[in-house]
Formats: sequence, structure tokens, C-alpha cells
Amino acid sequence: MSNKLFAVLISAGLLVGGFWLGQHLATNSPVALVGDADRYTSNAAARITAGTALDASVGASGTGTTIDVFNGESIQAAVKRASSGDIIRVYPGTYQETVYIDKDDIWLTGVIQRGHWPILEGNHTLNDAILYSGNNITVENFRITHYKGNAIMGQAGNNFLIRNNHVIDTGVYGIFPQLGKNGLIERNILSGIEDAAIYVGMCDNIHVNNNEVFENVAGIEIENTRHAIVENNKVYNNTGGILAFITPGLPIKTTYDVIIRNNFISDNNHVNFGAPGSIVAGVPSGSGIVVMAADQVTIEGNIITNNKNVGIVITDHQSFANISLDPESDPNSDQVAILNNVMFNNGYQPINEISALKLVNLIKNDVDIVNVGTSADSCILDPGKYVTLGLDDYGRCNFSDTHGTVSYLLPEPAEPHPFTDTEKGKMAYYGICTGCHAYNVRMIGPPVQIIQALYMDNPEGLADYIAKPIKKREDYPEMPAQNYLSPELRLAVAKFMLGVDNQGQFNDPALNQNP
Amino acid sequence: MQLRHLFILLSCTSALTFASPHYQTCASCHGAQGEGNAAMQAPALAGQSATYLARQLNYFKSGIRGGDQSDTLAQQMRAMAGILPSEAAVQSVSLFLANLPRTQPAVTISGDADKGYKLYNMKCGACHGPNGQGNEALKAPALAGVGDAYLARQFTLFKTGARGSHPEDKPGRQMKMMSTHLSNDDLRDVLAYINTIGR
Repeated sequence: MSNKLFAVLISAGLLVGGFWLGQHLATNSPVALVGDADRYTSNAAARITAGTALDASVGASGTGTTIDVFNGESIQAAVKRASSGDIIRVYPGTYQETVYIDKDDIWLTGVIQRGHWPILEGNHTLNDAILYSGNNITVENFRITHYKGNAIMGQAGNNFLIRNNHVIDTGVYGIFPQLGKNGLIERNILSGIEDAAIYVGMCDNIHVNNNEVFENVAGIEIENTRHAIVENNKVYNNTGGILAFITPGLPIKTTYDVIIRNNFISDNNHVNFGAPGSIVAGVPSGSGIVVMAADQVTIEGNIITNNKNVGIVITDHQSFANISLDPESDPNSDQVAILNNVMFNNGYQPINEISALKLVNLIKNDVDIVNVGTSADSCILDPGKYVTLGLDDYGRCNFSDTHGTVSYLLPEPAEPHPFTDTEKGKMAYYGICTGCHAYNVRMIGPPVQIIQALYMDNPEGLADYIAKPIKKREDYPEMPAQNYLSPELRLAVAKFMLGVDNQGQFNDPALNQNP
Repeated sequence: MQLRHLFILLSCTSALTFASPHYQTCASCHGAQGEGNAAMQAPALAGQSATYLARQLNYFKSGIRGGDQSDTLAQQMRAMAGILPSEAAVQSVSLFLANLPRTQPAVTISGDADKGYKLYNMKCGACHGPNGQGNEALKAPALAGVGDAYLARQFTLFKTGARGSHPEDKPGRQMKMMSTHLSNDDLRDVLAYINTIGR
């Protein structure tokens, strides 16, 4: 199989190589300027200006009363007692529980005394440390370890603030806001996560800054998300450093307007320990930044060093391993902009596919930046600074920096998601299920298509299963129990899932195959 | 040398001893070692899940499978399954086959195995296992070692509804629903991938 792939790559590469030679020998025409000069100085999505505190419109208000939780007590019990506006202070100690926040405006804060933190300990048996479905939630100052699913997961909650947490070995995702608008993730330290340490999924208006992520499969992942900035993070010794993706088969179909700037992205050469067959298992070890199918991604001011496969790779759905196409997503990464970055000693041990491309393009040096596939209207500011491969169609950027865009966070808190009571099932599907289940693609759990076939006319069976899952597949991670959801909501989401289509927008009775 | 001969003799004897006597009728089409017979359009059964085999035999016996007029091979099989006199006989044949070493029937279909792997991983592997070995917990039979001709034929039967339409055949109905998600070209690629397993 691999030989055949190699041959295909060689022939494709020869084609590319011939085209390249033709282009360069024939003309010496000036390179086109690409992109609006004011792309970042008058960016309509950038609504706050320099000098505004990033946390001005996110997190809890703290206007209520304070509830203290001490070692030996239950955080969840405090959440149950709390009303919107309250502050829950958790004192140092070890708390072995899952905390589920299903109300708005709760400030969950750890108290650190003489270096002693409140520790959420999953003992390798609990699934999730903190789940929230409310809006305006703050989670800060916790040390979270040994959970199997997520450290902190947001389920359709807007205006979240997640900061100053220390997350070690918590399973599939570390910090994972799903379907949230207006959120800030800052100053967290995460390691030992088998998918993404910070996974921003199906969100809008997000800021991820000053985090330290290491020894994860993916460091920071911006997925099916719009208007996001990832800056000033330290990202090292992951399999892949920073990823901007469209995952096919999710109800939100786009990723665009993402700035990745001023990060330290080095030595992301960790062996890939993602579940075989899952999407992240397709990320080659040694990848600094991976852009796949995402549009308008601008990469600026990063120090990108010692990533053995490649510093930056821009690719599409066709070229990426473990992906099938979504007819409703554009598979290409368009309007990518690579501005000034510092890059060296990347690409010294590339994967076979990149080696083959180098061979046919007569490139001997280690490669910093690779583009595979079509990338329309993309640009690079100063190509002479890097060794590049496949960027011949890139023009020169018509803008040199992103300074005019401080953040995509909103000046005022976002309104809650417009789900009515009758749409609870849809909300849970979007906010919870699609974190791991894509429609026709293997993400973490089995694709929705397969679940529909297995349970077709039996939503009650599915609702029972999600309350108490049993591991059935040797090559898939264990599903976390969703027993914190009410029985009514579990049945509603099961019904929605069994009838949903690839857009996640309507129920199609024809999909059910009743006898 | 003598010792070796004795050993071979003993293994042969024990194979014969443990072979289900009820299997003798089946062997004329499915082969003495369950290796199948391309000329007879009989799939390889060696190493297949015993519970799957028993379920299918009982489906044939009761007409849940093999009742569709368009599937003459299944109709034949329905008649043959009727010869098995008891549930004990069904179990005995199924266990005998399950314990035989899996075979590698000749490849008859070509396709893009790399593309097939991706499709298999997205559409099939969650039930049939990462190496086509099947999954008891999901009532999914092994696909590796069965033979691409049989798999292609069954897939088409699921697509047309000739198999997997009986209300009592729940796993069949599940498979019928999944069969709508692969085109004929996709199927060839998936079969090309399955053909690479274990080779």
C-alpha cells in the first residue's frame, strides 16, 4: 500500500515540479499582492480595542454571596445550593467528584494557600472533572488530574472564562469549550492529554493566551470555530503544536478568521498516542502548526523551532489521514497568511509524503513550511526567510501585521444560545455529543451514522446506554456516562441523534427504518 | 521420524474426532476446512464467530433469511440448514467452524485499498473491528477471511433489501441501514482494503 502511495506522490510531485520549473524559467513577473491592506486594521469582527481588559465581558459577575467549600466537603453540593451571581470558593484539599454546573453566572474559584491547591482527583475512574452548560461561568485555580474524559468541558455555555488551572493526564480533552460564544482561556498549564489539551470546538469569538501546553497529542486546537486568536502560548513537545481545522461531519461547517501569533512552538516531536484511527492519530509527530481546511488563518510573530516533521503545514481534507470528505465543508485552506515568524531547525525528519515531495522538487534543505493541495488567495510576507515547499501559488501579503486586531472577544456578553425548551435535544447534541461524534467521520467515538443504524427505532435504548455506557470496542476510548443529564434530556437527545442529518438541523423520518 | 508420523496421525485423528458430524453435508460446498468454494459461490466460514453462524443458521431454518425470491443462493442454503436436526446440531457445526483457522480466499475484486481503509475506518470498523475480526458485543461478524465475492454479494442484497428486511433480523436491519452509506465504487475500495488484512 505504501509503495503505491509513494508512486502516486512521485508522479503528482513530478507534475508539480514540472509546473514549478515552467513557472520560474518562463517569467520574472512581479508577485501578486494578496489580501486587503486593512484586513486587520478595520476588521469588523474585532470589537474591543487595546487597553480593554480581555476578561471584561466574560466570566461570572460575582455579585451574589460567597459559598466556601473545605476539604472533605462536596463542590457539587455547593453548586446545587448556589444561585446565579454566587462565588464558590474551594479551599485546598482533594476532591474526588464530577462537578456539573447547569446554571448561569457561577464563579468557581480555587483558593491557593501557601502553595497548596484544591485538587480535583479522578483516580482514573471518574470521567469528567468540571462540566458546565450555563452561561457566564468562571473556572479558575484548580489542579485537575487523572480523569478519563475531560478536565473542563463547556456545553453550549457562552461568555466563559477558564484560567490559571493546572491540568495533568485527564483523558481525551483538557479544556474543551464546545459551542460557546465569547470565551477566554488564559494562563492554564496542560499536559498528558491524548487528544487536544485545549480544544475549542464549534465556538465563536475566542481568545486563547498565555497557556503552557506540553506532552499532549495536540497542543491547542481551533476546530469548526470562527473569530479566534491564539497568542503568547508556550507549546512544546506535543505531537502537533497548534491546529486550525475543519473536522468534517460536524453541524458547524466552517473555521475561519483565526490569528495564531506570538507563540513559542518548539520541539513538538512527541510520539502520537491518540486512539488509532481517530482524527488526531493522523497528525504526524513533529508538526508545529497544522492548518487543515481552515480559511483566513494568519500566522504571525511565532518562534517555531525544532519541529522535526515541519514548522507549518497547510493542507486539505483530501490529503489528511483518517479523514473523509464532508460535502458541505470546503475542504481547502484558503486565504492563509504567513507574516513574519522566526523559524529554524524544522523539518529535519519529515514524514515519507513530504520527503517524496522534496525529492521531486529538488529541495535538499530541511523544510519550514509545506503547502499540500489547493490554497486559494493565500500569501506569505517574506518567503526568502524560510525553506518552503508547495507555496508557489502564494502571493505577497498586502498587510504586514495583525496589530489592529486586539481580540475577537465581544464588548458585551453574548446572549445565550437561542434554543427553545423543545429544542433541548438539539442543544445537547450540539453541545455534548458532537464533541466526540461526527456524522460520518470517526472522531473519538463511532460516527453518528453508525449509531443511527444500531439504534434506529430505539431511542429509549440509546438513552439508557448513554446513562451507563459499556465498552464494546477495543479500539475506541470508553464513553463517559452522561448520567448527570436528566432522563428526559437523555431521551430527547437520543431522539434527536437518531433522526439528525449531516447538518444537524432537521429530523428526517426517512432516516429511520421502522419495520 | 516415527515420533513425527505418530504426531501427525494423532492430529488427524483428533481433527476428525472433534469435527461435528453434522458438518459433513456442509463441507461439500463450504470445504472440509471451511475454506469456502468460489465455484459454488460458498463463502469461507472458518474462524467466523460461532454466535453469528448459529444465528444465521437459525435464520435460514426459520425463513428469516433465505425467504426472498431474488436470492436463490440463500434459498438453497435455507433448504440445507433445514437438514440440521436440532439446536444442538446448529451449535455443534457453528463451534466447529469457529475453531478452524481463518482462510484467505482468492482475491476477485480490485480497488483503491488506501481509500478503502479510510472508508472502512469511518463506516465499518466501529462494528466489524479494526482488523475486520468482528465484534461479539455488537453482533458483527468477521469480514476478514470471508472472501470478497461473498461480501460484495451480501452488501448488494442489503442494499436492495433482499437481506435485512425481516423485522426479526435486527442486526440485518442495522446492516441494511449502513449499506445505504457506501456507493458501489466505495464498496470495491473497502473490499480491496479488507483483502489486505492478514496478507
